[in-house]
Amino acid sequence: MTDPLEVTLKVAASGLHAQSRRLTVVSQNLANAEATGKTPGADPYRRQTISFNSEFDEVMGANLVRVESIDLDTAPFRIEHNPGHPAADANGYVKLPNVNMLVEMADMREANRSYLANLQVIKQAREMISMTIDLLRST
Amino acid sequence: MRGPLAMDSIYLFGLASRHNQWLAVRQATIAGNIANANTPGFKALDTQPFEDVLQSTALAMRATRPTHLAPTQRNVSVTEVGADQGWETSHSGNTISLDQELLKAGEVNRSFALNANILKAFHRMLLMSVKG
Repeated sequence: MTDPLEVTLKVAASGLHAQSRRLTVVSQNLANAEATGKTPGADPYRRQTISFNSEFDEVMGANLVRVESIDLDTAPFRIEHNPGHPAADANGYVKLPNVNMLVEMADMREANRSYLANLQVIKQAREMISMTIDLLRST
Repeated sequence: MRGPLAMDSIYLFGLASRHNQWLAVRQATIAGNIANANTPGFKALDTQPFEDVLQSTALAMRATRPTHLAPTQRNVSVTEVGADQGWETSHSGNTISLDQELLKAGEVNRSFALNANILKAFHRMLLMSVKG
């Protein structure tokens, strides 16, 4: 299992997995961008962040990528004055999630781009493997 | 490995397959870079140039017992790319530029195709002389 082209496929697959996890986190953040609490003064949805770490695989001799952790963003919540809201506190302020649409969209585009780059690597490695196999074909 | 064929004297098959082996290792390195394109602090890696690999005479470890683990290094050393060669460094200290890596991957793919086609052409010539 140390054929470099197979290692290439494994490494690129780890990249695909990590980027798709990232996209999952982005979609959760976007879906819950307006999710407030239910009781007065309750905290709303807190934005999640994902962090990657590279992991050296000694059998393959290559750097895989893995999701290190999914944490909660500690940024302050947005506050809006809306006394009629069920989650409004005594002064009529509602806490809204600390999700910034612009940041999430940028994150999504970056995840998309990295995913595509990994796909491209898989495509090229497969081409190289089939070129080698084609050498056996006698014309 | 020396035969009467003229192709052996220029060591064509051996050279082309060694080059392809090196290209495969380089592709694996590039794949590692692309996979870690968003890993904080990850430094871009690249293989040593093919000329250096050809000229170096590294001694490989020999497995004297069947239970010995095979060494993972493939006689091609992988080093960090210098700061002057990378295209960009992000805020987290990550020095991977996706464009640069994809460019390198395309280059590797093209060279691999070239070698494979050369091998195929010479193989066809051999077959032609065998089949008549």
